[in-house]
Amino acid sequence: MKLFEPAKLGSMAPASKLIIYGLLGLWTFIVLFPLYWLIVTSVKLPIHVADGPVYLPFVDYTPSLHAWRYIFVDLGRDTFRPYLNSVIVAVLSSILAVGAGSMAAYALSRLEFRPRLISIGLFILGVAGTVVAVTLAGVNWRVAAAAGLALTLIVIRAARGVPSPELGNSDILFWMISQRILPPVVAAIPIYVMFQQVGMLDTHFALIVTYTTVNLPIVVWLMYDFFSTVPKDLEESAELDGASRFRVFFEIVLPLAKPGLVATSLLVLILAWNEYLLALFLSTANAQTIPILVAAQNATRGPQWWYMSVLIIIMILPVILLTLLLQRFIAKGLLLGAVKG
Amino acid sequence: MSIRKFLTGLTAGAGICALAALAPAAAAEFDGVTINVMTFTGPQIAEPLQRRAPDFEKATGAKVNVITVPFSDLYQKLLTDWTTGTNSVDAAVFAPQWMVDYVTPGLLEDISDRVAKDEAIKLDDIAPFFREFSQKFNGKTYMLTLDGDFQMVYYRTDVAKDLGLNPPQTWDDYLAFAKAAHGKDLNGDGKADFGSCIAKKRNAQSYWMIISVASAFLQSKGTSQGAFFKTEDLQPLYGQNEAFAEALRIYSETTKYGPPDEINLDVGDTRNLFTSGQCALSIDWGDIGTLAIDKEKSKVIDKVGAVVLPGSKRVLDRETGKLVDCTPEICPHAKDGINHAPFAAFGGWSGGINAKADPKVKDAAYAFFSWMSQPEHSNEDVTIGITGFNPYRLSQFQNLELWTKAGMSEQAAKDYLGAIQESLNSPNMVLDLRIPQNQRYEQVALDTAIARLLAGELDIEGAMKDVAASWNEITDELSRDEQLSAYKSTIGAQ
Amino acid sequence: MSELPLRSEPALTAEADRAGASSGERIRHITAVGITEWLDRHSGRLFVLPAVLLILSFSIFPLIISAWLSLSRFKLVTTGFELKYIGLANFRKLLFGSQQFHFLGTFTEISPFGGLIMLAGFGAIAWTLYRYLASGSISVLGLIGRLIAFSLLGGIVLMFGTTIGGKSQIGSLSTTIFYVTAGVAVQFLIGMGLAFLCSQKIAGRSFFRVVFFIPLMVTPVGIAYTFRMLADMKFGPFAPLWSAMGLGQFAWAANPWSARWVVVIGDSWQWIPFVFIVMLAAFESQPRDEVEAAELDGASPLQIFRDITWPSVAPVAATVVLIRVIEAFKMVDLPNVLTNGGPGIASESLTLHAFMEWRALNLGGSAAIAYSLLFVSTILCVAFFNLIVQPMRRERA
Repeated sequence: MKLFEPAKLGSMAPASKLIIYGLLGLWTFIVLFPLYWLIVTSVKLPIHVADGPVYLPFVDYTPSLHAWRYIFVDLGRDTFRPYLNSVIVAVLSSILAVGAGSMAAYALSRLEFRPRLISIGLFILGVAGTVVAVTLAGVNWRVAAAAGLALTLIVIRAARGVPSPELGNSDILFWMISQRILPPVVAAIPIYVMFQQVGMLDTHFALIVTYTTVNLPIVVWLMYDFFSTVPKDLEESAELDGASRFRVFFEIVLPLAKPGLVATSLLVLILAWNEYLLALFLSTANAQTIPILVAAQNATRGPQWWYMSVLIIIMILPVILLTLLLQRFIAKGLLLGAVKG
Repeated sequence: MSIRKFLTGLTAGAGICALAALAPAAAAEFDGVTINVMTFTGPQIAEPLQRRAPDFEKATGAKVNVITVPFSDLYQKLLTDWTTGTNSVDAAVFAPQWMVDYVTPGLLEDISDRVAKDEAIKLDDIAPFFREFSQKFNGKTYMLTLDGDFQMVYYRTDVAKDLGLNPPQTWDDYLAFAKAAHGKDLNGDGKADFGSCIAKKRNAQSYWMIISVASAFLQSKGTSQGAFFKTEDLQPLYGQNEAFAEALRIYSETTKYGPPDEINLDVGDTRNLFTSGQCALSIDWGDIGTLAIDKEKSKVIDKVGAVVLPGSKRVLDRETGKLVDCTPEICPHAKDGINHAPFAAFGGWSGGINAKADPKVKDAAYAFFSWMSQPEHSNEDVTIGITGFNPYRLSQFQNLELWTKAGMSEQAAKDYLGAIQESLNSPNMVLDLRIPQNQRYEQVALDTAIARLLAGELDIEGAMKDVAASWNEITDELSRDEQLSAYKSTIGAQ
Repeated sequence: MSELPLRSEPALTAEADRAGASSGERIRHITAVGITEWLDRHSGRLFVLPAVLLILSFSIFPLIISAWLSLSRFKLVTTGFELKYIGLANFRKLLFGSQQFHFLGTFTEISPFGGLIMLAGFGAIAWTLYRYLASGSISVLGLIGRLIAFSLLGGIVLMFGTTIGGKSQIGSLSTTIFYVTAGVAVQFLIGMGLAFLCSQKIAGRSFFRVVFFIPLMVTPVGIAYTFRMLADMKFGPFAPLWSAMGLGQFAWAANPWSARWVVVIGDSWQWIPFVFIVMLAAFESQPRDEVEAAELDGASPLQIFRDITWPSVAPVAATVVLIRVIEAFKMVDLPNVLTNGGPGIASESLTLHAFMEWRALNLGGSAAIAYSLLFVSTILCVAFFNLIVQPMRRERA
């Protein structure tokens, strides 16, 4: 057998195959080893760490469940609370994000919007004016918001006759997607101030609404691409029959888009579960989520890695399970249209 | 395992936990009350709170949620939670020196009456220093002491004997001891060990170590001379003068005799290193003393000695900025010509209550802190290293049996308690900074400058300039006059 | 916006009459139908409204407030907090004042390495500008855009050149740019390499795809801790390896550059899968027939890659790099947990720097840093998009 020539045309030389498998195998090891180490460390006793690394349970050392017991029983309530918060916030914000996002994506893919630049400018002025009124003039925020909104709407309506350049769907899409460029830290501080003013810091509501908004651009981006590939014939015939757009969306389009919906929901669920910075700013005690709890271990524990391993495992286990579900859709190329486009 | 099964399992688990948590106590006083107590991620301090919470719940029906945040976040989280009206935190265990920033805006509950009526905590048993300085502000009591804090130097008695060295009395002694022990195998495992292990990690609890070193050079005439600023104009003593330069030089040199990643070690790491026998010296609060007798984890049982913080034969002349030799006038409290300035670092973790919490919650929170402070519980906790609680009650100092029962030899107990008591009773004790926004001076300005010095980003000259400039910037931002009068009143200066 | 035909009132009334309704029911029917009609007519707007409103209020709104915060000083008082307008003082402090060392770095004389960077950087900028001007198709917008982008890039190159090398320190801005450039470069090369390997005719491709995807989704905080454990020189799993190599005493967290590289390694472990997945799809969608024809013609693998594969995946590659660049600017979890921003301030990214300022209750300074990050990342990302991604897309099309 010749090592460097392919056995037959169209396949590869054995030597090349060996190298390729070797490299890919190496990377597999790199990916899986940290996870293995976590599991192995979570059942170690302090002495198994202090004396140098040991690698194989039952062979190098006798595993013990003391760390698991400590986290789940001794610290049970203090572990359970952030975990529950994470679940609530992630699930609810994903539902909202996927709901609002798919609706927007659908509308953007089927209808043509022509927002006028002047209306947008007026709206921004209205927001700025409200902010100034609340902070500098001390007007009550509810009053200022209502008055600002009303004034803005009136002025926009009045300015209907004024000529102004119009933007199109692609501009709206670009604006939504460009929100990803916005570093969360820029918005985090004002959002913190905003929620403090209305007394909603450290609540589930604050986190849910913020996470929903942060993940909306991704949902719109992905679902827009997806809806673009769904043929319009079914919808058009339904509309001719007199069905309202809402019915068309909920009864015809969504079921067709189920794979894309599921994929996007899983992705958003994972992103919301992993969110750290916004939770750091917006939560103190009641709404503390799991990434914050884990990051807080950044302290005087010294190398008490067994406890940390347990916490990290319970934090990433749901994510890994969701990922395994999600990757099916990745394989089908469902989420890649956006990038290729 | 499918998602659905996993979620079902999780919900079932959640249900069980919820039911268990609701297990009814016999018509107890605080049935149905939940207290959110915030402190830093320990295990120190958080551990005893979490351990005793279930018993407290059984006795009174109140549920205690212990919420932990990183140490560097604690001050800000409490301040913003209480000033912004979020009020998620009902009570907290934190540093008494931050009282000034919490009491002035009316955030802390005045517990003077409750304390006066509380027989269980045996107020007179709490050492006067902690009773006055850690619990009171402007004459009223706002906090309940759970822990007593003094920094000391720990040394390996066996290493000292082998090398023929005495326990270090000055910082030069400390360096000599560290140099002699560095590189030798101190715990019999065949690997070279370290002369001195000091926690130097940024954004952690390291900035008190440099204060411990510098104080002996900066304060000699008693507590009311103050060790941070000049009492005439609030110019920082932590600035360009020979004393601070010498302190920084010593501090930097200890790194040479320490573990290679010392600047990333927090107190948890250094305590671990010391108790596993890899260090000859360390600077710490009382924790090493109690951690060293842990039969399961310590390799240095009965090999640990403690001394009052080393001193200096030369101190700062505040007029000239130079170091001058100690004389009876300049150093009236010197021992054998050496000026010691024991540092009451931090003041001792204490419990305070949010003034705007629900009245029933406030009562429950006070009951919890009282529970933690009562001698029956406190006396046990201060002997266990991992609690982070160090002795603060007179009975804890006087009752040697408490310590011998916990595993300390009588000699070690006398040594350890003696060092603490000597610090407590010293007329030249240094009080930690208590002026408004002291956390900015120490945790932000000083900590960053020291971290940069140790990382090699600044030299000693640069570090001195940086600290003085930052401190002056903060003082000028707030109001030099107000800060000056606050400083003078906290140290009792004229 | 296209509209559905509106039914008139007489028609509605007639419809109601036909159904034999009473007058009350008729009104209700008209109202109900009227409402549904109104909803339907505005359905387009209603569909987008929730998303648009949410994004507007959580992005435009905060942007304005953030701008204003960056121009003020924050003070906690008894009743909450107060903000005092102080103009550009926060920015001045960052660029010229007491925080300059933290943000830009400490300036020093130009080291050989710094000089090299400046030469290469200015050279590249000059060449690109020249090519654009000589291309013949210039527009006002294009010129202005390029001038802005290149001035920023020039400033950054200058900053690097004068702060790098020797004992001096680079600031959080430079560190962030390092994370972006070095990180994305490493991730792109390794990710694309893996994808290329995986796109060859091998078995088990789906297995690799699944396994390689996992790190992408793991919580970054968890990754940071795990890597801290793995990288420990004394207790980590590689400790025997380090001592064998004589590195047993090396403290990666104590050296500024090793700390930054460890952050890059952690980041790469998480994001290489992303590049891998996307590039794999790109490689798999190459024109198969062209490749086979070239193979039959006897072209070497290198030639095939250069002439067929690369042109077809280049646009995707550019987009992937753009996405990574956008995300890399925001990194905060890893430096916070892995190194705490240390040693000193060496591994602080801009977001981490802003967070630490916020934690020290300096909201104005924090907002100023955040705005600078926004400014730099937007200009660089938009420039990258316009100057690299778009041309590649146009080339393919």
